[in-house]
Amino acid sequence: MTYVIAAMPSYTYAVKAKRLLTAGGYPCEIQRSGYSSEGCGWELRIGGDSRRALDLLKSRRIPFSLSGGDEEWS
Amino acid sequence: MELINFDNAATTFPKPPSVIRAAQEAAQTLGGNAGRGGHALAMRSSEAVFSARETVAELFGAAPENVVFTSNCTHALNLAIHGIMAGGGHLIISSLEHNSAARPAAALAKDGRISLSVAQVFPDDDRTVESFRRLIRSDTKAVICTMASNVTGQILPIRRIAELCKSRGICLIADGAQACGVLDVKLEGINILCTAGHKGLYGLSGTGLLVSDGKFPIKPLIQGGTGTSSASLMQPTLLPEALESGTLNIPGIMSLKAGVDFLRSKGIPRILAHEEEVCRVFMEELKSVPKVQIYRSPKAGYVPIVSFNVENLPPEKVSAALSEKGFCLRAGLHCAPLAHSSNGTKSGTVRFSPSVFSRPQDAVRLAKTVKEL
Repeated sequence: MTYVIAAMPSYTYAVKAKRLLTAGGYPCEIQRSGYSSEGCGWELRIGGDSRRALDLLKSRRIPFSLSGGDEEWS
Repeated sequence: MELINFDNAATTFPKPPSVIRAAQEAAQTLGGNAGRGGHALAMRSSEAVFSARETVAELFGAAPENVVFTSNCTHALNLAIHGIMAGGGHLIISSLEHNSAARPAAALAKDGRISLSVAQVFPDDDRTVESFRRLIRSDTKAVICTMASNVTGQILPIRRIAELCKSRGICLIADGAQACGVLDVKLEGINILCTAGHKGLYGLSGTGLLVSDGKFPIKPLIQGGTGTSSASLMQPTLLPEALESGTLNIPGIMSLKAGVDFLRSKGIPRILAHEEEVCRVFMEELKSVPKVQIYRSPKAGYVPIVSFNVENLPPEKVSAALSEKGFCLRAGLHCAPLAHSSNGTKSGTVRFSPSVFSRPQDAVRLAKTVKEL
């Protein structure tokens, strides 16, 4: 299954994003980010049509960045 | 002796059973530190706190990420005042402000970091709006205005002051401590709403809120752990974490959520109508008593608070005498000395403030006790 990892600026935004995406039919999970230069943080693992899911986040002005650049993991 | 609380403007008591249950359940089940870890206990707490943000956001017409949990209204007002005025500028406060707003403003002015003006409030809303308008300068950065006086309950024309501020690009900080829970308070032009969680919202003591519309950045007064970007020594800038350093009061926050749920199930207009009726009964009993003076003007609107004095008796003595009979009312300046200068009550007043649980028959018994003093 294809999914993307979106790095979220806070747990609050991670939950907000998760609820929005889940309501829109995009399966996703919140997880603690692995070690990064930023330190502790939160990620959203988004499955399904992740491009449209990310567009939905952008349209609601929910800040995020894609881990490891703008690429998908599978 | 049964104690009857008519000091609900200070803190509501009793609390709804659902509020007590929520705090107890939180203490028993939400043992993780919200926003601080990825394990199941922490995630459970984090989800619960976000749900509380959503509940509060819906009540005030805000976005959940702009709901900041604080310890009380004073904490929220200090965050707002210091955060907005950090770069200096001119600040206007109303003449009815509580010390929770007036003191941080005065301290900044005393240190020469801001200039401060006080806008006189009148029973006539037109005159009040005009007194704010006249004080606005090119460097006016913010206005602080209580939505209702904690001394007399007078409702201020916050919508009109919001329009004035918006037209001049000024940040409006509203103190909703006496309005939230009895009036239908929405942001709608208020840029930063500060309020208590333990008064009209029926949460436990130690809870408060700062709710922003996100238009004016608030420089954090306190820095520390937020659970995010922890490699950086710089405080994150996004709300709510930017203003919530340190571990949250999770049982308190869950009690506040339950309090807001309680309000919505009862209906704020119904709560207001009940409390107004208790006030009406109280005032009706006392209106023909010459030695009792009630501080209300027919030109103004009021939340359910009645300030009064008994001739030749200091307010504290009245309060003490009533306390001996089981009635709990606050006396003195109510931490709002500016309001007493405005109202001509420099020795203070006795304040009657019911809650949704107050009974009209108790207000009648209280009034009869006041008559006998």
